[in-house]
Amino acid sequence: MAGAVQLLVDSDLDTVALVARAVRAICSDRLSEEDLDAIELSLVEATTNVIKHGYNGRSGETLKIGVALHSDRVVIEVVDTAPPMDAAQLEQAGEERFDFDETNIESLPEGGMGLALIRMNMDEVEYVAQKRQNRLRMTKMFAKPSTS
Amino acid sequence: MINHEVREGVLVARVEEKRVDAARAPDFKTELTRLIEDGHQQVVLDLSKVEFVDSSGLGAIVATLKRIGPRGSLAVAGATGAVERLFKLTRMDKVFPLHEDVDAAVRRMAG
Repeated sequence: MAGAVQLLVDSDLDTVALVARAVRAICSDRLSEEDLDAIELSLVEATTNVIKHGYNGRSGETLKIGVALHSDRVVIEVVDTAPPMDAAQLEQAGEERFDFDETNIESLPEGGMGLALIRMNMDEVEYVAQKRQNRLRMTKMFAKPSTS
Repeated sequence: MINHEVREGVLVARVEEKRVDAARAPDFKTELTRLIEDGHQQVVLDLSKVEFVDSSGLGAIVATLKRIGPRGSLAVAGATGAVERLFKLTRMDKVFPLHEDVDAAVRRMAG
């Protein structure tokens, strides 16, 4: 089933779980459990980043979450009106974040993992900061049906 | 949020929440820290009831390991689905040995 849904979300960390549950349900017909996990984690990381860093943990602000189901992909957008993040942060984020020395526990990351996880879990990630709003667009392709 | 018991000298901390995300990570970290400050160096974190962990939850677990220090260890039991996947994706399974259940983790640690 194709279609698009928009959710308006309070900038409150307690609502993130509700949004995750809603988006997971919207996508559940078309995606495997593993892909649903990937989408849920990416959405949670993106939404949490906006609330914690964009809005500095301030409640009373609003985020817009868009979910668009296409024939071959799902596109999830997180739109906010907070001060934008540095786009270079997203470009530099990747699996290198987890290239730590596991024998040196002091070197292990405790934070700054969200953008890397988004990049690792989604097929395309794009960030556009416009005059009044920022848009993080995350795309997950549907797994191709087996041809065998 | 966390129940605990001591088995064969190993602290077993069972997380009773389905989600450990940014909303709950601060309390989660505080509770875990309080438990290990009693002096336990061998800890099993039972995540069998947990369905979702985000980077904040994972960061709290890493912080707990740092608090335990290099002479102790922190193993994870019962991680499945998205939780197990997060540990593997972030290579944290190299840091926190993943065990199928608490029995296996305690056996390994106490032995």
